[in-house]
Amino acid sequence: MSLQIKVPATLADLAEAARINRIDTMDMFAAAGNGHYGSCFSCAEIVTALYFNVMRLDPARPDWPERDRFVLGKGHAAPTLYSALIRRGYMPEHWIHEFEAKVGVKLMTHPSRRYQPGVDASGGALGHGLSIGVGMALAGKIDRRDYRSFVLLGDGEIQEGSVWEAFASAAKYRLGHLVAIIDANGLSVDGTLDEVMPMEPLADKLSAFGWEVVECDGHDLAALLRVLDIGHDRVDAAPRAIIARTVKGRGVSFMENVRRWHADVLTPDEDRLARAELTRPLS
Amino acid sequence: MTSAEIQARSAALRAFYPMRVIREQFGRSMIALAEQRGDLVALTADLMYATGMAPFGERFPERLINLGIAEQNMTGVAAGLASCGKLAVVCGYAAFTSLRAIEQAKVDCAYNEVKVILCGLSAGLSYGVGGPTHQTFEDVAIMRAIPNMTVVVPSDTIELDQALQAAAARPGDAPIYLRIGRGPEHAFNDTAAPFEIGRARKLREGRDISLIANGPMVVEALIAADILAEHGIGASVLNMHTVKPIDREAVLSEAANVRGMIVVEEHNIHGGLGSAVLEVLRGGHGFPVELIGIEDIYPPIGPTFALRESLGLCASAIVARAMAMPRRN
Repeated sequence: MSLQIKVPATLADLAEAARINRIDTMDMFAAAGNGHYGSCFSCAEIVTALYFNVMRLDPARPDWPERDRFVLGKGHAAPTLYSALIRRGYMPEHWIHEFEAKVGVKLMTHPSRRYQPGVDASGGALGHGLSIGVGMALAGKIDRRDYRSFVLLGDGEIQEGSVWEAFASAAKYRLGHLVAIIDANGLSVDGTLDEVMPMEPLADKLSAFGWEVVECDGHDLAALLRVLDIGHDRVDAAPRAIIARTVKGRGVSFMENVRRWHADVLTPDEDRLARAELTRPLS
Repeated sequence: MTSAEIQARSAALRAFYPMRVIREQFGRSMIALAEQRGDLVALTADLMYATGMAPFGERFPERLINLGIAEQNMTGVAAGLASCGKLAVVCGYAAFTSLRAIEQAKVDCAYNEVKVILCGLSAGLSYGVGGPTHQTFEDVAIMRAIPNMTVVVPSDTIELDQALQAAAARPGDAPIYLRIGRGPEHAFNDTAAPFEIGRARKLREGRDISLIANGPMVVEALIAADILAEHGIGASVLNMHTVKPIDREAVLSEAANVRGMIVVEEHNIHGGLGSAVLEVLRGGHGFPVELIGIEDIYPPIGPTFALRESLGLCASAIVARAMAMPRRN
């Protein structure tokens, strides 16, 4: 069911929505038996801020042409998006408990327009989302519509070369209504980005590619609202990149910054411990 | 008839057909389509001149998105445009559209259910001197294996225009791969003949052997049929411009009416039109089927027509194969 939160949500309500987002994610992974805990918890505040405050949406009309768009580049964090869509009323709540549970269910590891109302782009293969977002923003610019396109990328995902093709093209076409949010938790599947493939200095790289770059704490909802809500009148401007500094596994102490929790299986004791920590909003 | 005589005869017959430059027609057809369709946006990857799109760029500068040498991004951008209501037409080389950006074609277009028209120019051996990086002989097989992808291989400038129009008008949320040549090719189609994606066109009737072909091999099949007729062999010619969804009824109807079949394509014999036809027949018709195509090799370098001839992708080779192959009684 949808959360009884008035949108645009207050900071207190957003914190509660982000808490419920993590619980929903726990429930989905419980149904599946495993999941990408770290990747989801890293972006819970970003997705919550977008869906409960920033984005112009009408859940009764998922195909409304004037809606703001969202593309999840790091598709393996789909449960975070599913929770937002369920709590905004796009999808039924019982889908949470069917996540990956049997053949033919609607919710799986990666988002799909095919099965999930409210999802703007199917994905999961890394490095695709920003290009799709560029196309969405370009269509809006050509048609003089004022919707905005938000793309959430992982900081590991941007190791894919196609992402840099997309960064270059968004700057060329001055897509002022495009926002790329990089969930910069510093970890990928095999280790820290510094070990696997260093991508810093990110801000310098993105500035050099012609983007307006801002950095913030990706768990600070007030800070996120300030940088995400770019307004609907940035017609001819540099696209905005937000480097959201995050903690992978944020909210569950034993998962935070631990490589293993990119995706793993919880023991019953770990499950109890994690849920106990998620009983109240994070400070 | 000696092989030299067959070659001379096919050259004489080929001379009846005027030569038309494929990519010039592509540019003209795109302009015509853009004049009808205000929602059309063309995308290219630093191949505006090479795909014949420069006149389009002059006519509609704001509707030609040049994304630089970056086919993966181009295909994803096309998917994003299409998801927001644009008729997105990717104008690239077949080699890069079908290989470099194949994951975007699958995930962003086909799986994501958006109608993007993916145009792969310089396909087959039409850029023969470019060598195997630019020759394209695996694209039909790859595109055909992607669910929700339609694959069309026009056979001349006339059919290219018809196919582009049909692709633009096609309802639904499925991408379409158009496999398109490059330089001069023989023009032979009747501009008044109806064209429908998924419906093969019967160009010749004959009861002895069926020649099924697409792309630039259709005119070779026509010439071969003419020569075979001069030798008392009745060859039907079926232009199978759509490889997927293949016209099953047309294949089965041919199988019921002839004593042997040859499938001819400018593509690897693995996975292309020949494979698609055999999938329909499934070995159940008890008559010989021969495949003419590129025999799983990296073709040598050479000008297009000479290269095709050297690989047996020509009328005289079809005639020789037809005369040599066994036929069902």
